[in-house]
Amino acid sequence: MMRENELSFGKRPKNPLNKRVWRDIARDWKRYLMIFLMLVVTIGFISGMYVANNSMMHSLDGGVEKFNRESGHFELSAKADAGMIAAIESGETADVVAVFRERAYEEAEKEVEDAVRKAVEEKVREQVKEEVISGATKAVEAQFDAAAELGLEVSAEERKAAIDAAIDEAMSGYFEQAVSSALESAYLSADYTSALDEAMTKAREEIDRKIDEEYAELTERYDLDKETAPVPVKLCELFYKDVEEKPPSDAGYKGTVRVYSERSRFDLYDILDGRAPENENEIMIDRMHADNVGIKVGDSLRVARTDFTVVGLAAFVDYTTLYENNTDTMFDALTFNVAMTTDEGYKRISGAEHINYAFIYDNKPADVYAEKELADNFLKVLITQTAVSEKKTEIKDYVPAYANHAITFAPNDMGSDESMGGVLLYILVIVLAFIFAVTANAALEKEASVIGTLRASGYTKGELVRYYMSAPVIVVTLAAIVGNVLGYTLMKYVVISMYYNSYSLPTYETLWTPDAFVNTTVIPVILMIVINLVVIIRTLRLSPLQFLRHDLKKTRRKKAVRLPKWKFFARFRMRVFIQNIPNYIMMFVGISFVMILLSMAVGMPETLKYYQNSVSDMMFAEDQVILISNEDDDGNTITTETEGAERFSVYSLMHRTDNFDEEVSVYGIDRESAYIALDDAYYENTAGTGHPELYVSKAFAEKYGINAGDLISLSEKYENREYTFSVYGIYDYSAGIAAFMSLDRFNKVFDKDDGYFSGYMSDTPITDIDEKYIAKEITSEDMLKLTKQLDHSMGAYMTYFQYVCVIVAAIIMYLLTKIIIEKNERSISMVKILGYNNKEIALLYMVTTAAVVFITEFAALYIGYAVMGIVWKIILMKLGGWFPFVIPAQGFVKEYLLVFAAYLIISIADFIRIKRIPKVLALKNAE
Amino acid sequence: MSENERKFLEVRGLKKSFGSGETRQDVLRGLDFTVGKGEFCVLLGPSGSGKSTLLNILGGIDGADDGEIYINGDKLAEMDEKSLTRYRRKHLGYVFQMYNLIPNLNVKENIETGAYLSDAPLDIDELLKTLGLYEHRHKLPNQLSGGQQQRVSIGRAIVKNPDILLCDEPTGALDYTTSKEILRLIGEVNARYGNTIIMVTHNEAIRHMADHVIKLRDGKIRHDDINTEKITADELEW
Repeated sequence: MMRENELSFGKRPKNPLNKRVWRDIARDWKRYLMIFLMLVVTIGFISGMYVANNSMMHSLDGGVEKFNRESGHFELSAKADAGMIAAIESGETADVVAVFRERAYEEAEKEVEDAVRKAVEEKVREQVKEEVISGATKAVEAQFDAAAELGLEVSAEERKAAIDAAIDEAMSGYFEQAVSSALESAYLSADYTSALDEAMTKAREEIDRKIDEEYAELTERYDLDKETAPVPVKLCELFYKDVEEKPPSDAGYKGTVRVYSERSRFDLYDILDGRAPENENEIMIDRMHADNVGIKVGDSLRVARTDFTVVGLAAFVDYTTLYENNTDTMFDALTFNVAMTTDEGYKRISGAEHINYAFIYDNKPADVYAEKELADNFLKVLITQTAVSEKKTEIKDYVPAYANHAITFAPNDMGSDESMGGVLLYILVIVLAFIFAVTANAALEKEASVIGTLRASGYTKGELVRYYMSAPVIVVTLAAIVGNVLGYTLMKYVVISMYYNSYSLPTYETLWTPDAFVNTTVIPVILMIVINLVVIIRTLRLSPLQFLRHDLKKTRRKKAVRLPKWKFFARFRMRVFIQNIPNYIMMFVGISFVMILLSMAVGMPETLKYYQNSVSDMMFAEDQVILISNEDDDGNTITTETEGAERFSVYSLMHRTDNFDEEVSVYGIDRESAYIALDDAYYENTAGTGHPELYVSKAFAEKYGINAGDLISLSEKYENREYTFSVYGIYDYSAGIAAFMSLDRFNKVFDKDDGYFSGYMSDTPITDIDEKYIAKEITSEDMLKLTKQLDHSMGAYMTYFQYVCVIVAAIIMYLLTKIIIEKNERSISMVKILGYNNKEIALLYMVTTAAVVFITEFAALYIGYAVMGIVWKIILMKLGGWFPFVIPAQGFVKEYLLVFAAYLIISIADFIRIKRIPKVLALKNAE
Repeated sequence: MSENERKFLEVRGLKKSFGSGETRQDVLRGLDFTVGKGEFCVLLGPSGSGKSTLLNILGGIDGADDGEIYINGDKLAEMDEKSLTRYRRKHLGYVFQMYNLIPNLNVKENIETGAYLSDAPLDIDELLKTLGLYEHRHKLPNQLSGGQQQRVSIGRAIVKNPDILLCDEPTGALDYTTSKEILRLIGEVNARYGNTIIMVTHNEAIRHMADHVIKLRDGKIRHDDINTEKITADELEW
């Protein structure tokens, strides 16, 4: 019966399903192309960001050594002498108590000795005088007695005159001699020594008591009793002058330039264009600021009242971000500049000099924690060494590098950009993976009979899983490769130019970045594989028979969902909705994702605009002038004739959290103030022995979640001293992190005399106070620094970003509606046969999706706004200052319309697709 | 034929029901039969008689509640899912009423999907000629008629030269002439390649071309006959 020997056998062919993979991709090329492009652009951009960041970070890290970047800097009120510099460089904490005690002893010793000597001398003189008088008297009386014996009678007057004359003679003759010889022996006597010792002991006891009393507080304040290891450093003078700059070409522009003399040891620079100054007429300025203002090499620049020629544009290693003051809310590359001249050029510039020293630790800290500890210890060195210096010297500023925004802001920002980009990429990949998975599931449903047959014929689940996984893996891998290539080439420049547009960065070299590869290639591919694998395996676990019977639901459909007695069209649409719930869930996720991005793209410029428009309303006074001292050089109180000007007090304290130390301006307010009105009840409530009560500004309360009744701790900037306040209420002031209290309480808390004040505030500009007495002036321009810089750095990109969001939304909706229509192709074909026209069919199948998009958008709007609110808070938590994330009504409308416009475009494509479905499709064999 | 060959497929006490409680429906109520090696066996019966269920159980894609099935001495119930897949891969070919071809693979490639499963598949070109599809080998399924598509599906099933070819109403969707063509082809395959064929049909006429006819009704075997007067497919009339 068997005739196998007559049969001819062939070779086992390669898996024909492999051929099919490419045909599947070709057949569905539009879908795959969309996904491919979306991934390429995202992966390209993110990988470009990683590459740019990594290369730039490497360059910045390298710059620390290469350009001898400071470990920190401090400003003193006067130039330090060699002794003080040597003491600071030694890194040893000065024993303030011992030095002060020694000085007091020395002073006391002299005083006591003088006092004792004086007392002894007085006594000796008295004794000698008595002796001299009695000696002279005795001698004269002896002479008169002898004369009487001889019978010479002398009257009492004559006798007295003779005695007086003898005393006078004795006193002028040998009295001083007698006194000095008596003193000589007195000083040598044991009595004298013991008296002196006794007096000294008493004096020392008094000094000790006083010092112990006063310096117990000092010890606590500076944490002096804790043993700390020495922090040896090298110091370098980096004196500078903050003066006005003015390019002659731009009449309206006025900025501040911080000019340093030639830097040769610390904090060097990378020249991006031109060269360093070589003579007294040349200047090199910051490249970023030059770009912003439009200054080029060869231009002239007026600095204070002196003209210079710009010969170079550079990135200074200690100013990668142009922060004028470390306490500023935001950097300002628009009106703040950093420059360097030759030493001679520096002398030509008139203006107050800041006695600034940069330091570098001899022993480099291993990490940021070690650096913080070193910085804390070094501050102690600084405080104690300035305290014990012969000359009275104050520390005006101390900024360790790790806390210096001018140094840390750019790398931190790049770091957070990178992690945010990474998160966005993963979310997008997950959304796309789910779209892939939904697509794969639709394909599995469509091909159920084939799968059943193949499984029945002996194809293993693994073989089929591999096959259905192939297309997504190929597309993602190709996208990852192309994306990476783009990242290293085109996109890198996009990102770098974004950073160069905000920061003063040095030149860099493109580096191979394993992180970029892992995060943009390995992880998305793995995510894609895992999500698809889970979905496909879940379906392919079903038995071949279930596939053959098209029975693919995990749980058997019990009954059709009962619908109310709606009209036919409504019920039909409801059925379409129920059938496509997984697709609509994906659509919801996708649209929510887009809305989050769109909230940022629309909300950020809107928020900045809102803040810019309302900041002057937010400020309690248009102008605030803070004085260096409230007395002028002649000791008279500084006054102003400005209308409406009133005195106020302000003191800066720090609000410290684990992540960020924020400066808080604590205001002391007069009860009669026209600018800040606190409750009468607050002023009257003087009782209470607990913590002093104050108001906190709305911005402060919102940023840190502070409520009335809470206790808050604020600490001194450079001292280990903390104040605890009880929050009386929230004061409606959104333009700054501030707190308000009555003048009385202010003076009491900060130990100020009655009548103390720190400055004037007024709604009219205060112009009649000599600038040399002004420490700081706050106008609405200062409050706008943050928004202006944010707007400059991000504003332009946000508009592009809005378009990107619309495209992403359109692609996601395209992919999902395509699945819905494909799934229903046969039914659509069938209703066509029944006689429905295309418009009616569109009403049946497309209105459902339109309704879902319509409703989903509302939910997504809320989600986007809520998520961005949180993201905004996270961003501002790392910056000084606070203003809430705002989207005005028209912003929401814009977001809504943008996404709906994307849907409308897609719905046209869908309508065409429905129109193209042939009637014969329903009549054809299922496969 | 040896005893082993005579009992190439042995079914004992096979029972199968669906549902439980009041909705329980006994589909197979204890079947006993054997099929010899190389036999062309037809399972006849009206709708709901359990013939397709029986075929699915024999094919290892559905399980029995009770009873035993031995194929070439191997007990089917003792096989786990992996072994069952291997068993189908090595020993079984399937032909369904619907052809279930892969739409974007051409005729030859569809047959290759079967050939891939075997270590020693039949020569595909020769098989294509046997199936009368050689000139159509580059066409996609949607360019073929129903009969041609069914031929491709038969080709896909037998290219791996299976021991058993299971056919579930292979002519159910075809017209009279095409049905006869397909039946002729199945007869030829049986004769040429010597595979055991078990074919489910409700077409009584087909019994005449089979070696062995098992007739089911209500889940029970009503007739189990050996046909000694086999005729060719061409001679069939209905």
